[in-house]
Amino acid sequence: MIYRLRHVTTYAYAHSVDLAAHLLLLTPRSLPGQNVVRSTLAITPTPSHITEAADHFGNAATRVFLDKPHERFEVIAEALVEVRFPDPPPPALTPPWEDVVAGARRSEAAEFIFPSPLAPLVPAATGYAAASFPAGRPVLVGLLELMGRIRRDFTYKPGVTGNNTQVVEVIESRTGVCQDFAHVMCAALRGLGLPARYVSGYVRTRPPPGRVARRGADQSHAWVEAWMGEGFGWVGLDPTNDIVVRDEHVVLAWGRDFIDVSPLSGVILGGGEHGLRVGVDLEEAEGPVAA
Amino acid sequence: MADQEDVTPIDEMVDGRGGVRAHWRPLLGTLGGMGEGALAERARRLDRAFEDEGIAGVLPGAKRDAAWRCDPLPLVLSAAEFATLEAGIIQRARLLEALLADLYGPQDMLAEGLLPPELVFANRGFLRACHSAGATPPRPLLHLYAVDLVRGPDGYWRVLADRTSAPAGPGMARENRRLLGRVMPEAFRGTQVRSMRPFFDLWQDALQRLAPPEVGDPAVALLTRGSQAPRWFEDMLLSRELSCALVECGDLTVRGGRLFLKTLQGLQRVDVLLSRVDGAALDPLEMTGSGTAGVPGLLDAARSGVVRILNAPGAALAEAPALAAFLPALSRRLLGEALELPSVETIWLGEPGAAERVARESGWLLRRATDGAMPAAAEAAAAALAARAAPATYAAARVPPPSLVPCVAAEGLEPRPLVLRMFAMFDGTQWQVMPGGLARIGQGATLGGALPPQGLSKDVWVISDEGSDIIGPAPAHLPPMRIRRTPGALPSRVADNLFWLGRYTERLERAARLVRATQARIARGVVLPREAAEVSALARCLAHAGFDGAEEVTGSAAAQALPSVIAAALRDDGALTSLGERIADLTLRVRDRLTADMYATFTLTLRAARAEMDQAGDNLESISRAMIAVLRFATAVAGVAAENMVRGGAWLFLDLGRRVERAQAIASEVGFALDEPPARIEGGLRLMLELCDSVITYRSRYLTVLQPAPALDLVLADGSNPRALAFQLEAISRNLSEVTTADDTTLPDEAASLLAEAEAIVAELVDATDQAVAAANLPPRLEAMANRIAALSDGVTRRYFALLPAAQTLGMEGAEPALRGAA
Repeated sequence: MIYRLRHVTTYAYAHSVDLAAHLLLLTPRSLPGQNVVRSTLAITPTPSHITEAADHFGNAATRVFLDKPHERFEVIAEALVEVRFPDPPPPALTPPWEDVVAGARRSEAAEFIFPSPLAPLVPAATGYAAASFPAGRPVLVGLLELMGRIRRDFTYKPGVTGNNTQVVEVIESRTGVCQDFAHVMCAALRGLGLPARYVSGYVRTRPPPGRVARRGADQSHAWVEAWMGEGFGWVGLDPTNDIVVRDEHVVLAWGRDFIDVSPLSGVILGGGEHGLRVGVDLEEAEGPVAA
Repeated sequence: MADQEDVTPIDEMVDGRGGVRAHWRPLLGTLGGMGEGALAERARRLDRAFEDEGIAGVLPGAKRDAAWRCDPLPLVLSAAEFATLEAGIIQRARLLEALLADLYGPQDMLAEGLLPPELVFANRGFLRACHSAGATPPRPLLHLYAVDLVRGPDGYWRVLADRTSAPAGPGMARENRRLLGRVMPEAFRGTQVRSMRPFFDLWQDALQRLAPPEVGDPAVALLTRGSQAPRWFEDMLLSRELSCALVECGDLTVRGGRLFLKTLQGLQRVDVLLSRVDGAALDPLEMTGSGTAGVPGLLDAARSGVVRILNAPGAALAEAPALAAFLPALSRRLLGEALELPSVETIWLGEPGAAERVARESGWLLRRATDGAMPAAAEAAAAALAARAAPATYAAARVPPPSLVPCVAAEGLEPRPLVLRMFAMFDGTQWQVMPGGLARIGQGATLGGALPPQGLSKDVWVISDEGSDIIGPAPAHLPPMRIRRTPGALPSRVADNLFWLGRYTERLERAARLVRATQARIARGVVLPREAAEVSALARCLAHAGFDGAEEVTGSAAAQALPSVIAAALRDDGALTSLGERIADLTLRVRDRLTADMYATFTLTLRAARAEMDQAGDNLESISRAMIAVLRFATAVAGVAAENMVRGGAWLFLDLGRRVERAQAIASEVGFALDEPPARIEGGLRLMLELCDSVITYRSRYLTVLQPAPALDLVLADGSNPRALAFQLEAISRNLSEVTTADDTTLPDEAASLLAEAEAIVAELVDATDQAVAAANLPPRLEAMANRIAALSDGVTRRYFALLPAAQTLGMEGAEPALRGAA
């Protein structure tokens, strides 16, 4: 599937901003299963300095610096991305989850078994997940069940939670949005010793014919990648929609939690009150696709 | 029992058979000649020397830790012993550098299982912002390294802790040596002690050499956490020792990817930053959620290689106590060498069975696996419980009974336990170990698991190998030292502090003069009728100067009301007390701009004045004494400024502050004094002359005839009278012209225009048909002048002190749904 992506972020300030520095994680990662044909960032006003470097997780980070007074800051991220993540393995063939736990500390996934600021160890979350992981169950069987339970047990309700909402509140209220569900699932899996990382990206705006509209479209989206052992690697799981990530998602970046992958953060001098508008479109590309 | 012998600490000075060790003998010989009680006397003098240097706790009111103390008896290390330590320390430094380069690069040590992932990924010291996937970090990551060592009963030194972020103490080691040399010079006579000077020379040179390659004449700055931080004194000392600018995060800015220092002369580039600030607090752009402290873009500049931060911001990672358990294997893997200088026996409780072993065996001390601090005895039980729940976050160490060293005590000498801190510095090519160090002394007979408090320290003497340490021409293999240009520009923050130091000092002096003038008129308990108007005017002046309650005082009640108003100003939170506090604080902040003598003059006279003010109570007599002490302080500041300060940026702003404050006060107070019916103007004129300290001058010119025009000429328009308004305005205009560029002369022009107004007032008075009536009409005009002077001061603040708008962070806005970044 080939998508045209357009993500517009606009900050409007009450007073002039004298000096600004921004960290953008708005360029989709190139991955097996995700081919970034083209990707651009249009920034207004024109920054005085831009650097690009991979971050710790290998995400494409762009840092922009503005040192002329401005009342408005806008980033338009556009990309043409082809996605077809491989189908997950037959769940029953994946290793028992305990084996995955045992192998995690010495693997590339080691970092993602540890708690992080927004996905800390929460006994209630670990307990919630444990029901899906009885002894000896193949890991993907447990993961799919857990994802389904989150979709059923939690109410999707925008506007109740915020960027700093803690897992312990969400597990209590059973209410939130994609970011909260992704944090709950990461915290729950890490509590069991299973590696889980937080993925920031997008889900397609309009559903393919015959399928239901996805929650979290029209905006930034978040889900989880869980590790299934050296043999099977990572699988993308979207607990907000109860689907395995295959061809309806575009991956921007991953990290331990939202803090590591906030699409646009920054430090400004001045500005006073500010307003923020975010618009996201992820549409199937029509017509001929040029690189 | 054989075990019994093992736990008896050894003594650094005497061997087990009661004999003095050879390398201590010359020192003891010298001390023996000093006579009874001489050491205790030297200890007292050393304490006083540190106090006078203001190393801590000098300024009453400025909250400080207890004063730094140094025992007069040094710790003596033989040449052979130092050589062994030197080799071990260098190897450890190389090992930790290699380890950091791996962990901030390919992370092979994790993949190979030589280090558990907990010690990296669950370690707050691991700064992800300093690692770029697939890239290698700029080297070196370590520049200054310190080890804390203990010597066990077996005679071997072992490492208690590695310090890799911004080790404290090299400056204090130097200061200990300097003051010991001053207080007890004869002790150095019999012993060939290696000098620390070459180490600091090499260090200074190394900072230049470690600059980014393309920089021709690198500017080096030492980044301090500021004058409120406990290490302020040492940072200041080091910046002088290493000839680099002393800066705070707020002084720096990143523009166009490069690092700059904000100075009065504009932005000046910084190429090397010797950072004494925690790496996680350096750059708010990279450390999301950590607030706005730091310099946005600093890590980006470091990553691009245009600025070198030393130590690298992520270097604290190597301080994790649990790391000690893995260093022997890492040394074999990374260096291909066996570890020469081992740590105290350490196990990481995340290893299978380790927690059980520690619970079973005695003698283990718990430490946090990744935090440097060792829990105190009282916290040990709680730590043991926590370690059972989360063993991987703990390590356990066996700390041998540390060696003892004689210290001066009330009754002769007393053996106390010792932790030795030594320092090494990477000069771009190789590691250099400081021939000396910092010995820290425990209070009781043992360390009891906790590191000794910073309180008592010792100088560390390394005995020179015969002939090996002659300081002559530099060895030929060193490249010639470059000529250094110290960044001489004045940071805007420092100018700001000097300006306010000048203003507050003057304000305190004015207040003291007002109090004295008031006391003279109310001392008899009744106010004479002819002085009633003057006392009312004084009450208004006092109110204007911030004395609470003075504004309600009227002429007849003044004799009763004013004493309590004045006494209140001297109590806690009173106007004078808080002025004294602010001045003490500012003195501390600008300390790096004052020589030791200037600083001593400032602080000793201020301390005396504040002590007098503190004890004055309600007593008129003692209040009057306190005011004399205040005037003495103000005179001392003026004298030091006039005679000891180069007429550069620092002096300009100190003087500017003083002149602005005095000009404003003269305009206001003359206005209050003249606010009388024309028939009573004479009393106002008399008061005005007194407040402007111009009575004698007036008398010498005009004898006893008091007339408005001559009197006002003397206090407003006479440029030769240092207490006159004109004198202040001329000085302001001159100072501002010095720091102003030709294209914007608004501020000096305003000062000149104010001067013209003062002259016009007097000229009109001379021509007036009735001078008394004309003088009585002046107050509104004088008030307008006072307001213009205040506006001029604001103009100076805006123009030179770069009042930056508040910083805020974006991207983690919190709960407002409209600002959500994710669905």
